[in-house]
Amino acid sequence: MALTTDEKMAWLERVELFQGLPSEAVRRIAERSGEIRFPAGRHVVTQGIIGNGLYIIIAGRARVVKGDEVVAELGPGDFFGELSVIDQMPRLASVIAEEPTTCLGLASWDLLAEIERDPKLALNLLRALALRLRAAREEHHH
Amino acid sequence: MTPEVERPFPPGDYPVVIVGSGPGGVQAAYMLSRLGIEHAVISADPSPGGMFRRFPFFQRLLSWTKPHVLYEQDTREYEWYDWNSLLATEPENRAVMPGLMDGTSEFPSRPEMELGIRTFAERTGLRIRHDTRWEGTERDGERFVLHTSDGDYRAQAVIFAVGVADPWMPATPGFEHVAHYVDTRVPETYEGKRLFIVGKQNSGFELASGLLHWASRIILASPRPATLSVNTHSLAGVRARYVQPWEDSNLGGGVFILNASIERVDRHETSLTVHTRRSDNGEPFPVEVDEVIAATGFQCPLVDLPDLGVNVFGQSRLPTMTNHFESAGVPGIYFAGTIGQGVAGLKKYGIPANSGAVHGARYNARLMVQHLAETRFGRKRERPAVKPAEVVDLLLNEATTAPELWNQKSYLARAFMRDEDGTIRDEGIVSLADFVDSAGPDAVAITVETDDTGDIHPAVYVRRHGRVDADARLDSSPLHDYRTTGHRKALQALIGHTLG
Amino acid sequence: MNSEEVVDELASLALFADLQRPQLRAVAHIFSEESFPPGQRILRQGFAGSGFYVILEGDVAVRIDGEERARLSKGDFFGEMSLLLGEPPVADVVAVGELHVLHLAGPDLKGFLEQYPPVMFRMLQSVARRLRNANRLRN
Repeated sequence: MALTTDEKMAWLERVELFQGLPSEAVRRIAERSGEIRFPAGRHVVTQGIIGNGLYIIIAGRARVVKGDEVVAELGPGDFFGELSVIDQMPRLASVIAEEPTTCLGLASWDLLAEIERDPKLALNLLRALALRLRAAREEHHH
Repeated sequence: MTPEVERPFPPGDYPVVIVGSGPGGVQAAYMLSRLGIEHAVISADPSPGGMFRRFPFFQRLLSWTKPHVLYEQDTREYEWYDWNSLLATEPENRAVMPGLMDGTSEFPSRPEMELGIRTFAERTGLRIRHDTRWEGTERDGERFVLHTSDGDYRAQAVIFAVGVADPWMPATPGFEHVAHYVDTRVPETYEGKRLFIVGKQNSGFELASGLLHWASRIILASPRPATLSVNTHSLAGVRARYVQPWEDSNLGGGVFILNASIERVDRHETSLTVHTRRSDNGEPFPVEVDEVIAATGFQCPLVDLPDLGVNVFGQSRLPTMTNHFESAGVPGIYFAGTIGQGVAGLKKYGIPANSGAVHGARYNARLMVQHLAETRFGRKRERPAVKPAEVVDLLLNEATTAPELWNQKSYLARAFMRDEDGTIRDEGIVSLADFVDSAGPDAVAITVETDDTGDIHPAVYVRRHGRVDADARLDSSPLHDYRTTGHRKALQALIGHTLG
Repeated sequence: MNSEEVVDELASLALFADLQRPQLRAVAHIFSEESFPPGQRILRQGFAGSGFYVILEGDVAVRIDGEERARLSKGDFFGEMSLLLGEPPVADVVAVGELHVLHLAGPDLKGFLEQYPPVMFRMLQSVARRLRNANRLRN
């Protein structure tokens, strides 16, 4: 049973990245987003492969793996992959479904187009990246 | 001009030379004289007053002297309410301005302010060598040599209080047909004219409000919108007094406020065309007028100091200075007066201090002279011992009444330090930036600050293990009185381990 | 430096690379020019009310708990992290020699970025680059 646009919008609005946006913008993003299912064990994204989109988990669980190390557990409402939207470079980590998992996927080019229309989204993304940067540095320097 | 025999400070050797006889030079001279440090004061002007000999043209000053407040006029606390008098330790020399103002307004007129500075110099026995223009500077070993119109002066240290009053205009084509603010004539001569004023800061609005009655049309233009001080919660932006042209433009009364850049001025037989480009749509927008005045600002007339190593920055060409107003590039060169605005301080939330105005600069001058006296002439400041149990109340009393903390919020502070032997000593008024960035023994400083919501409150800085790790704030209070049980408890908790 | 010289300086900085000259002039007016002597702290670890800075001339050292972590120089910017995250800075930024900067009041950064999306994109790219570098260091 595929999600309706309204249901996708409800999911997007739960994610910090899309908060504070006008509802037409959220609708546009919802319309461009695709629903993708991953069986347990399947890679959602793979470390070292050039990324081309952002994912939001709407059901299930996934683990984030860098090299051999599990660095995080993700569940419904979590998003990942946004860095590739900015620089289209290889993924920093793999994200692997631990159980059957459903994601909303948004292609980089669609999200970029939306960022160009809406500075608020760019600001949210900037904030999200800044948070990740601070976390990465703190881990490194303890 | 007074005969040569009566003019003080002939060219020669002096420990310190002060250049300038405006509020900065006069205040610095007073401080040096009370410390007993020999110095000369020279000035190109024929009489004291500095910028107040000419400006502002219209209206009264923007700074107030309130005659009726909770404190007697000869007290330190009164200084907070009198932004125009210079500082003195003797009660009879304090609060010169209230006695000189005609009582019709709490804002002095320009002549009253000029008279105030002259009166202060006379009453405190300061001598100034007038009509002596500083023309060049050289170094000679440990000495500075000042070349002046009267001859050479040599000094260990020089204090330049030369203001920021050199007119500056951009090199826009056609600006040779444009007058600068300093050349504004009497208002009657603008009767019926269509006037174009370049610049939307206080000087532009001052001209607009002064000429509103006479000009047939006034256009104020600059690329960016004007900011109003009531919105910035500080003295930055156009002050309330000058907002009448703003209101006029909102109501369509004949004043127009334009956000546009000025590209060229063409002169015709009987008029001028100002070619502007609008900031909103980038479209050209020519305007025909009778006169153009550039209220585009001023620069610091530092003559050849940059050649000596005094680096300057910004459109005003202010020198880069330490927190004690000494040149960063050339130790021994100091600055007093409005030039001190080049020392930004903490500038929390982007809110500047009042170093450009008399009520801030006068305290900066005291701090600067104390530092000069200590570092160059070995005059240590008195640091009286205080009882640990008294520190909290002393700090809260300062936050409530100290004019230094209120006139220079988040810039000057009152500090107490613990000596090696455990004695707590009163450091007096210090530069906040210097306090928070210096290593040293355990210490506490208190100041008053405003945040981005406009809330005014005391801020406390504690130095422990040689570092000030964070800032702490105490609660604000509707009548700004911080001498409450709640404040005492909070402050005690903050400093207990350090100075308690 | 007069205002046209500042505009020339801004035009040479990567952060403002996508702005036209009239926009650069507006930017020059929005920021205030400040100058600091060697050794002066500009950003203070743990202090409220910090701002956003772009370096016009000179170098700064970024220090955490007294230990130098990085150097920044002309064209680099700092202060945005703490403003974006709404927290005090986690590092000191100290002038190495004499320093000239442009300073934007902290409360004005968000509005400035929203008004100049090209500057925000450049900042996004810069943060993204730093994130990749930080991750590289971890591995």
